[in-house]
Amino acid sequence: MGLAFGFLLTASGLGDYRTIHDGLLLRDPYIYLMMASTVATAGIGLALLRRRGRTLLGAPLRIPRHPVRREAVYGGAVFGVGFGVGATCPGITVSAVATGSWWGGVVLAGILAGLWLRGRVTR
Amino acid sequence: MSHLLPDQLPWWVAGPGIGLCVVALYALAGLKLGVSGGWLQLLFLAERRPLTEPWRLWFTGALVLGAFLAAAVGADRTSGYGALSEVLPAPALLGVLLVVGVLIGYGARWAGGCTSGHGISGCSAGSPESFAATATFFGVAVAVTLVVHLLTGGAV
Repeated sequence: MGLAFGFLLTASGLGDYRTIHDGLLLRDPYIYLMMASTVATAGIGLALLRRRGRTLLGAPLRIPRHPVRREAVYGGAVFGVGFGVGATCPGITVSAVATGSWWGGVVLAGILAGLWLRGRVTR
Repeated sequence: MSHLLPDQLPWWVAGPGIGLCVVALYALAGLKLGVSGGWLQLLFLAERRPLTEPWRLWFTGALVLGAFLAAAVGADRTSGYGALSEVLPAPALLGVLLVVGVLIGYGARWAGGCTSGHGISGCSAGSPESFAATATFFGVAVAVTLVVHLLTGGAV
């Protein structure tokens, strides 16, 4: 699944700054159409799986929902600033590296530092 | 370098395809697809802390392989960093992108997920928290992008 996910993220051109940037400038609906069709497809699939209550191998399956915690909104806002300025995220920065922009590696180094920093703050 | 792929897959192929990845991971293994969690496990590995979800390392490793595979069969090449690399000299861009990364990593850990864990998996599962996180980061990102666009006179 990871292989397919990485392949599709990259083949859809998300590793290119312009693809996301044009979406966030509200000039190109591609990223929104893509995201909406992802959630629509997975939403139907997960609803069916939830009804089944088991994985295909027969193990009990839980697909959790969570009430809104403040952390999700505060963290989401911080994430959104980085997402807006860099037009990238933890998955598609890999696509940037794979398609030839080593700047994606700089972002990834920052992401690891940010994850670490958040761990320090809450320790 | 072969060119089996168009420059950009149509959204109606890539979107549902990724949706099926989310469903398949739950259907086969009962696991929630997400990317930032994998980087967190890598950090735990570096810190010599026990891994809470070791499978995420495999998932993120496979994602890296998949990305390079797509590039090898002809995904559109990128170079530089779009408008940012036209406006900023390299040292400044380096600093900006490090800060961008730190904000993304810090925010993702604080929020408990990123564009994939909250935006795709959580929203698909109908989780209110994921809807809130996703609406927040998309809203903030659009606002930040439009403000930067205005302040730079349309250069970025």
